[in-house]
Amino acid sequence: MKKRRKETLWAYLTSAPSLILILLIVVFPILYTGYISFTNMNVYHWFDFSFIGTENYKRALFVFDSGFLGALLATILWTIVNMVLQLVIAFVLASLLNIQNFKFRRVYKTLLMFPWAMPGYVSILLWKTGMFNSQFGLLNQWMEKLGLEAQRWLATDVSAFICCTVVNLWLALPFMIMIVDGALQSVDKSCYENAILDGANWVQRTIYLTIPSIKPIIAPSVIITVFTTFKQFDVIYLLTQQVGAKTGSNLHTILTYAYENAFVTNNYGYSSAVSIIIFVMLIAFSLLTRKRLREGE
Amino acid sequence: MKRWLAILLIVCLVTTLFVGCSQPEEISDGTVTITIWHDKEEEVAAVLQTELERLEPDIVVKLERKDGLTEALKLVGNDPKAAPDMYFFAHDKLGVYAEMGILAPISDFIDATALEAYLPMTIEAATYKGEIYQLPLYFETLLYMYNRRYMKDDKVPKTTEELYEYMRKTTVGGHYGFVEQHSTAYYSAGWIHAFGGYIINEEGQPGLDSKETIAALEYHKKFVEYMPSEGEYATVNTLFREAKAHSTIGGPWLVPTIRESGIDLGLAPMPVVNETGKAIAPYSGVQGLHVLKVAAGKKHDAIIKVLQQLTGDEVGIAIAKASGCAPAKLSCYDDPDVAKDLMVMSMYETAQNAVPMPNIPEMDVMWTVTENLLVDINMSGKDVTESAKAAQKKALDLIASMK
Amino acid sequence: MSLRRKKRLRRFFGHSALHVFFIVLCAVTLIPILYALSVSLNAENSLLSSDFRFIPKHFTLENYKEVFTKQAVMLWFKNSAILAVSTVMISLGAAIPAAYVFSRKQFAGRRAILEILLLLYSFPSVLSMFAIYKLISPMGLVNTRIGLILIYTGTMAVFGLWNMKGYFDTIPIEVEEAAAIDGASNFQLVTKIVLPLAKPSIIVTAIMILIYVWNEYLFAITFMTGAENYTLAAGLYSLQATEMSGSWPVFAAASLVVSLPILIIFFAVQRHMTSGLTAGGVKG
Repeated sequence: MKKRRKETLWAYLTSAPSLILILLIVVFPILYTGYISFTNMNVYHWFDFSFIGTENYKRALFVFDSGFLGALLATILWTIVNMVLQLVIAFVLASLLNIQNFKFRRVYKTLLMFPWAMPGYVSILLWKTGMFNSQFGLLNQWMEKLGLEAQRWLATDVSAFICCTVVNLWLALPFMIMIVDGALQSVDKSCYENAILDGANWVQRTIYLTIPSIKPIIAPSVIITVFTTFKQFDVIYLLTQQVGAKTGSNLHTILTYAYENAFVTNNYGYSSAVSIIIFVMLIAFSLLTRKRLREGE
Repeated sequence: MKRWLAILLIVCLVTTLFVGCSQPEEISDGTVTITIWHDKEEEVAAVLQTELERLEPDIVVKLERKDGLTEALKLVGNDPKAAPDMYFFAHDKLGVYAEMGILAPISDFIDATALEAYLPMTIEAATYKGEIYQLPLYFETLLYMYNRRYMKDDKVPKTTEELYEYMRKTTVGGHYGFVEQHSTAYYSAGWIHAFGGYIINEEGQPGLDSKETIAALEYHKKFVEYMPSEGEYATVNTLFREAKAHSTIGGPWLVPTIRESGIDLGLAPMPVVNETGKAIAPYSGVQGLHVLKVAAGKKHDAIIKVLQQLTGDEVGIAIAKASGCAPAKLSCYDDPDVAKDLMVMSMYETAQNAVPMPNIPEMDVMWTVTENLLVDINMSGKDVTESAKAAQKKALDLIASMK
Repeated sequence: MSLRRKKRLRRFFGHSALHVFFIVLCAVTLIPILYALSVSLNAENSLLSSDFRFIPKHFTLENYKEVFTKQAVMLWFKNSAILAVSTVMISLGAAIPAAYVFSRKQFAGRRAILEILLLLYSFPSVLSMFAIYKLISPMGLVNTRIGLILIYTGTMAVFGLWNMKGYFDTIPIEVEEAAAIDGASNFQLVTKIVLPLAKPSIIVTAIMILIYVWNEYLFAITFMTGAENYTLAAGLYSLQATEMSGSWPVFAAASLVVSLPILIIFFAVQRHMTSGLTAGGVKG
């Protein structure tokens, strides 16, 4: 018993630096936002705010109207589409890059990492003006050369969704490829040799050997990516909703919706309440899906 | 052994985190340092710097570039350790900061009579709830620009109907008679004002569904039909720069690049709307110096000197020469070089009926709401009256949730 | 034809097809980047033009010259490098021991903490800036590198812990047991056995943190004042051509200059990202 307690203490001591950092930079803002959500901190009471109870929450519920429901559905669809495509493409590319004796793989990998080596807003800007612009964008210049009619790529919901997905994949795939690639390399090669000797083909090896062995390694990164995809703001906002450059599509995720309907008010108490509600919703959502996944196993 | 490693790591971490926390102390040999945040282009900053260097050695002014200035001020505005003493920015945010309580009125530092020498429009812009919070230096308004290769000086449309006629005739084969950022609040405001409408008034009441605004939006729509559907600035400005658009409404900041691209640029007064007899009246932005409360007490005398230095004519004239901005002080226009500058004088003309951007905090939500309304009308083809009513409601909701 | 030659031939064609595939893929992926490259080499100050070509009509290196001479790029580079190196070192220093105990030891609260850490990612952090300011301001860390390092290490801590824990889990515990029987001390166990085996994961994690710090600009522009204190990403942000000012070609050139160091580092360390396990003689 004593030894057990000592071990626990030791474990916490060793992980203390990491956990303290997380408490400070990740947990504290959440708690602070929670605290602000019960105050009237807004432009008129910026530094002298006071406690107003659950007032903000009562008002925040109005943000969650039919428009929000639409945004929520779009966000779920967005997350599923993006995650499936990301995982499949990353797995295929990483597998190809891991074929034995394949030369120049380092060059290819490095080139494929390029989208990741730039700040996101720069890339999104390049896509928006360089590719999708309906007057001057490359896509329409090519369409014209092919004798096709120029398109307004970002003007309707569906085509904006597709364009945003392309850009999001472009931005996110390097990370995913690297994670899957790293995981594939840590798979014990001797198992493969045995499997090949047993006559397993590539598909069987992938399903029964590769995926189960890389799953625990990539799982945390995948879960983190699911959350960041769900919370994606930059891609959709900067491509279609930015003030001064709206494109006509009405595509919203929950965050862009919350931005236009709450965050722009400069009312921190109110916006904090909206944030906390979204946070709680997301946690409930992930606990539910996780439970189902576990039962399915 | 492992434990020692762990402890060592913790010690390393903690020391790296806290070593060097000490802040640079202020030099205390009688000189006062005044820090001014700005996010302006180099030319303007350089003029200010030279002007303020004359106060040395008693006062050392540090002009610090700060991107994301408006957000940063919300964070550090009342923190004596992190806030600047003054900042240089457009007038449209001063209501927000005044309500937050981080601004000191400039009348605490300079005599109100000194401000009589300024263009009334600029003082109006600097005033929020009866107090003047900004010392104006220069202002910007949109200008009507045309390409003289296509449009002869005496053929420039004087009324909007003439403009419409011109657009109908010339908008063919990738050419446009007239382009503007039709679906942004900033650019469409000029049309709305010409009809007597407004986006939001001084009392913080939005006017998106007023009779006048709806009439303006309805009328403006027929012009949009002859413009490219995507109206953000890169598209609009490139069209004009590549001589594909014959005329445009744009800011003075465009002029250098337009001249660089070899366009023979002409500037003309804004067209008059036939129906109302009023010219398109765009928003104006007044740039100037604001004083933060945290500095007001302890650096009172130094701030007075800085502000006084900038009330002279020289700085306004120098900025006008360096970057083509229109000075806020009337006497600057007596300078022969300024009076000869076509761009400065065009802005001065437009300023006669320009409307200063609202400086009330409520305006912050109006940008998004108005733009959504314009997109609904101009891009998605929705009904004007219905969209305007919905936008008005949205605006009222958002303003209510600001409090 | 011998079986061996046939096999070799098949491999040759297979690999050739693969090369073609990857060359096309890279070309398609890089279109926006090549677009930026072309803009940066173009003598006309424009992001857009109606007859865009990848090889500009009026070729110039002026924009790159301007990036290096008129802007404080080297200073920003130094700031970014200091921030990146310190953040990576501290992050790893904190995450490796934590990941190791979370992977190897059983203790009260272990599972709960791991799961809660992941759930923290679901917080929409749009408003976190204010809270973080409230945190670092009393410590006097506004406008200091230490403040930024603290923020960056904290932001990447969950990822570092989880990512490396995942890899530690794949190292068979038998390896350590065998070494322990051979008389290795705890310290030797970690430094001589576990860390070499976990090298690829450490490098992967380090790269992720590096790229995050390199590209982060929001905290950098909010908490740092004065152009001389900017990081590369923040400096790039200030160069951003807006409607009012700035030059697109210079911005494009700067964007490419900023991303180059990352690519070089990535290319250089790739060799070390191959797992020690596959090379070593550990058989399950």
